[in-house]
Amino acid sequence: MATVIETRKLSKFYGKHRGVVDLDLAVEKGETFGFLGPNGDGKTTTIRCLLGMLKATEGESYVLGEKVTLDGSALRRRIGYVPGEVFMYEKETGRWMLDYMSGFRGGKGAREAELIERLEFDPSRRIKELSKGNKQKLALIIGLMHDPELLIMDEPTSGLDPLNQEVVFDIIEERVQAGATLFLSSHILSEVERVCARVGIIREGRLVADENMRDLFAKRQRELSVTFSDVVDPSVFGGVKGVEDIIAVDSRTLTATVTGDAVDELIKHLATHRVSDVTIQHASLEDVFMEFYRDEPIETAAAALGGDAS
Amino acid sequence: MSWTLFKGTMHQRRWHLFWFSASLVAFSWMMVWFWPQMGGADYAQLIETMPQEMIALFGDADISIASLGGFFQTEYLGLMWIVIVASAVIGYASKSVATEIGNGTMELLLSQPLSRSKFILTRMAGLFAYVLTISAATFVPIQIFGPGYDIDLSAETFWMLFGLGALFMLAIGSFAFMLSALSRDGGRPVAITSAMIAAMWIGAFLVQVSDFADALEPFNLLSYWEPGKIINEGALSTDAWWVYAGVATVSLVVAYVGFLRRDVT
Repeated sequence: MATVIETRKLSKFYGKHRGVVDLDLAVEKGETFGFLGPNGDGKTTTIRCLLGMLKATEGESYVLGEKVTLDGSALRRRIGYVPGEVFMYEKETGRWMLDYMSGFRGGKGAREAELIERLEFDPSRRIKELSKGNKQKLALIIGLMHDPELLIMDEPTSGLDPLNQEVVFDIIEERVQAGATLFLSSHILSEVERVCARVGIIREGRLVADENMRDLFAKRQRELSVTFSDVVDPSVFGGVKGVEDIIAVDSRTLTATVTGDAVDELIKHLATHRVSDVTIQHASLEDVFMEFYRDEPIETAAAALGGDAS
Repeated sequence: MSWTLFKGTMHQRRWHLFWFSASLVAFSWMMVWFWPQMGGADYAQLIETMPQEMIALFGDADISIASLGGFFQTEYLGLMWIVIVASAVIGYASKSVATEIGNGTMELLLSQPLSRSKFILTRMAGLFAYVLTISAATFVPIQIFGPGYDIDLSAETFWMLFGLGALFMLAIGSFAFMLSALSRDGGRPVAITSAMIAAMWIGAFLVQVSDFADALEPFNLLSYWEPGKIINEGALSTDAWWVYAGVATVSLVVAYVGFLRRDVT
């Protein structure tokens, strides 16, 4: 499988201020990669390095098989970029912006009309009259109208209502099904959870996890609640590795946290008892995410998920 | 060069350029119209009552104020024109790069298939278009309306004024453009270039009234702009062409190299 995005020891400093540090990242063709992290931890810096807008302090980046240079342009013909903060020419109309941006690609975007219709965008209005959500729609149309091979999106649904967010997710999924690769940067966890199969978590400019979404969840804790038909002793789970924090809610109900691959053994263990009810709550991506942002050293957080914080 | 970017640039600056050009056409025509009424012996008598230092505020005090060249230099081209035209080119230059970065629109532009080289060269082409337009807006009306008001400049004089005027403004605009290409805030190129022009104007004034500042004269761009001498004598020093072309070239090269290496967000 071809690597569409690759960074090798990419570092960017703004004077003494850290942007990203020693970032090693690889996104394969057709992947949907979520790049998670709070504001200011290096997500946008990474994207801007990938687009050749920022000069890397050290390391290098490759996009669609070509080395990223500051003066490159051919590469960007194959990329659709939706910025995190949308800044446009306020005095111009949406129509003018679409024509202007299309001009750089040699003609009108093949999907422009369709996207305008699906996102219910009115291109005749001036940019200064548009709400944040409508500006975001315009940025999405500009980024997607030429059917790019690679979508680089920085919080693409910011400012959109839930209905339009769904439309955007549908459009993204259609593009991915058609073979496009998605690099989605966000601090909105539900957004990443909705569309990405793999996720990288960045903290203080360093990649602390780069995992398959399923693996990432599997490594995290689940909340277990079991109600037995008979009175049980809290030590009933004794010996099942990965079951911790056992609390007796009453004489028949126990709660516990289940970590890693303990579920299979746990179910087998429960099968030896009469169980009247059981719930296992999966950790949301938010729970996973928060694991990385506890007040603990980066190395500890990375080690918890097998990531590399070096 | 990107034709799309050039068209977009000129579209966005159209009213800015139009109003500056229209003002210059009106100003030039007004000065042509004033000449028969204000020029000549009465005007010379009025000027002679002024202290030499005050005359020096408007440029070369050595030139005969009562002459056509002296009249145009004192009343128009020596100070007012510089202020108007410098405002136009500095405004264009600052918006070309630094304001785009400061406003965040550069990110959108450079995420399109547009190389930095094409971007900066196209914006330079816009600067050329600006200086040619405003130079034409200044000197073509003098040439067109002049014969009706006893002003008859030779074609050679007209082209000298047009060419040197454009090159002078290109030098100023290029300097501002260079600062713009290296800044991320449109206010800085405007402030620095305006301060530099003000300093040069003070320097030119000091040269007229004191020998103390003579050593600085070769470094003063304003000292090479002698429209009165061109109008009266139909000639000018070749140094002026070289200095303005040199400043413009160096500034634009630095702008190009600097922009290609810098962060643009």
